[in-house]
Amino acid sequence: MKTKWNHLKGYVRVEIIGQDSSSFINTCIQSGIGIWDIQPLDQNRALISISVSDVQKARGILKENKLKIRIKEKKGTPFLLKRMWKRNGFILGMLSFICLLFLLSNMIWNINVTGANPKTEYELRKAAVELGVTKGKFIFLLPNVREIQRDLTEKMDNVTWIGVTQRGTSYRFEVVEKEIPEAKQMTGPRHLVATKEAVIHSVFVEKGQPIVGVNDYVKKGSLLVSGLIGKEKKPQLVSAKGKIWGEVWYQTEVEVPLNTSFQTYTGKYKNRHYVSLFGLNVPVYGFSEGEFKDKTETLNESPLYLAKWKMPFSYIKKEIRETDGVKRSYSKAEAIEVGKKMAKKELSKKLPDDAKINGEKVWQQNVSNGKVKLTMLYQVIENIASAQPIPIQQGE
Amino acid sequence: MGKLRQQVNKWMMQNLELPADVVMDLPRITMIGQLHIYIENHRGVKAFSNEQLTLKLNQGVIHIKGSEFVIKTILPEEILLEGTISSVDFENE
Repeated sequence: MKTKWNHLKGYVRVEIIGQDSSSFINTCIQSGIGIWDIQPLDQNRALISISVSDVQKARGILKENKLKIRIKEKKGTPFLLKRMWKRNGFILGMLSFICLLFLLSNMIWNINVTGANPKTEYELRKAAVELGVTKGKFIFLLPNVREIQRDLTEKMDNVTWIGVTQRGTSYRFEVVEKEIPEAKQMTGPRHLVATKEAVIHSVFVEKGQPIVGVNDYVKKGSLLVSGLIGKEKKPQLVSAKGKIWGEVWYQTEVEVPLNTSFQTYTGKYKNRHYVSLFGLNVPVYGFSEGEFKDKTETLNESPLYLAKWKMPFSYIKKEIRETDGVKRSYSKAEAIEVGKKMAKKELSKKLPDDAKINGEKVWQQNVSNGKVKLTMLYQVIENIASAQPIPIQQGE
Repeated sequence: MGKLRQQVNKWMMQNLELPADVVMDLPRITMIGQLHIYIENHRGVKAFSNEQLTLKLNQGVIHIKGSEFVIKTILPEEILLEGTISSVDFENE
């Protein structure tokens, strides 16, 4: 054990030259200088080991005894380190190689985009650059894949969904594009027919022969504007064009519960940071749980890679957000009011942009099981015209 | 006085079963074959060479003879010698 300790501290093998080495040994022992491995070489010389810190003290004793000292060997950790330091270039090279490998394997090397046409791909890459996802960026500095996916999907308008996957040093974006049907220009001869049952509110015809007038009742599919114009004997085929506004009734049902409880975030949050070592989470910063009564927690893990291997340590951010259970209760009148608004909102989602809600009516209302059930009727004025091509009769 | 004390010590050793090296301040020597010799209670090195080690004792000296001697450890009262030991002689003054 003691020799191990000496090895750690470092010691020297020295040669003692001169007569009477035994008295030197005795003085050393008496003054508490540790010496060991004493090996006589011949009459005047002996090899001894002495720890580095004791060499200076020993020199004094040697002078008194008129002995000479010559250092033969330097042993132990400090000297080993010194010798290794002479080859520091080698060690530095090795360390910098590992560092470099580590950095390079946590860098983005490749970004693949699949499923997008060139225009969308260009836009996507541009959006990705804005988020910081470019070649040569460090992966651990970027938001995680989930966040990138969300941000990109928000940024891109002409895309339904973007799937972001990270595989080692490459990112892959899978794009599902919105298919926007191209408006077909109908140029052939056609009629305009009603799309639904309605009472005509107003008629605006650009081309064609109007068949119906204001306040006429039409069924679904009935002819509104004819594509046949001119004299009866010699009709001319045209592409009818126009807008026929009709009053249409819609029926919507809504249910409004009188008492609802739901959760909201209060805005208070705590972040906790962990370093995960071999699956063990060691908290690094943020030690309090926030002492929230109700809370939700989300974990964000960003792993580190060395070459293709996932390192056993990663950085984990835990977000703890306080939630608040809110109870909402309506009186009957309030519930009806809310129900009306909800129904209207729902209806306007279904209607085309140029439609107008003219009037509303509560058709039925009843309260049961703590819910208000409303059936609403809406009078909507919308364009009911749709094109119907006229088949060309040949051989006439 | 000294003589009386020695007699008392000897009596104590014999009748009270106390170890002799403690009571009488004698060296305790442990040998492992010819390889090691471990001496406690010595009073310093008198002479040391490849073939011989002479240690001072409370009374007299001890000569250890052999070859290829190396003192492995030396402390104020203990010494561990390595080599090939051929003889251990006591010399009373």
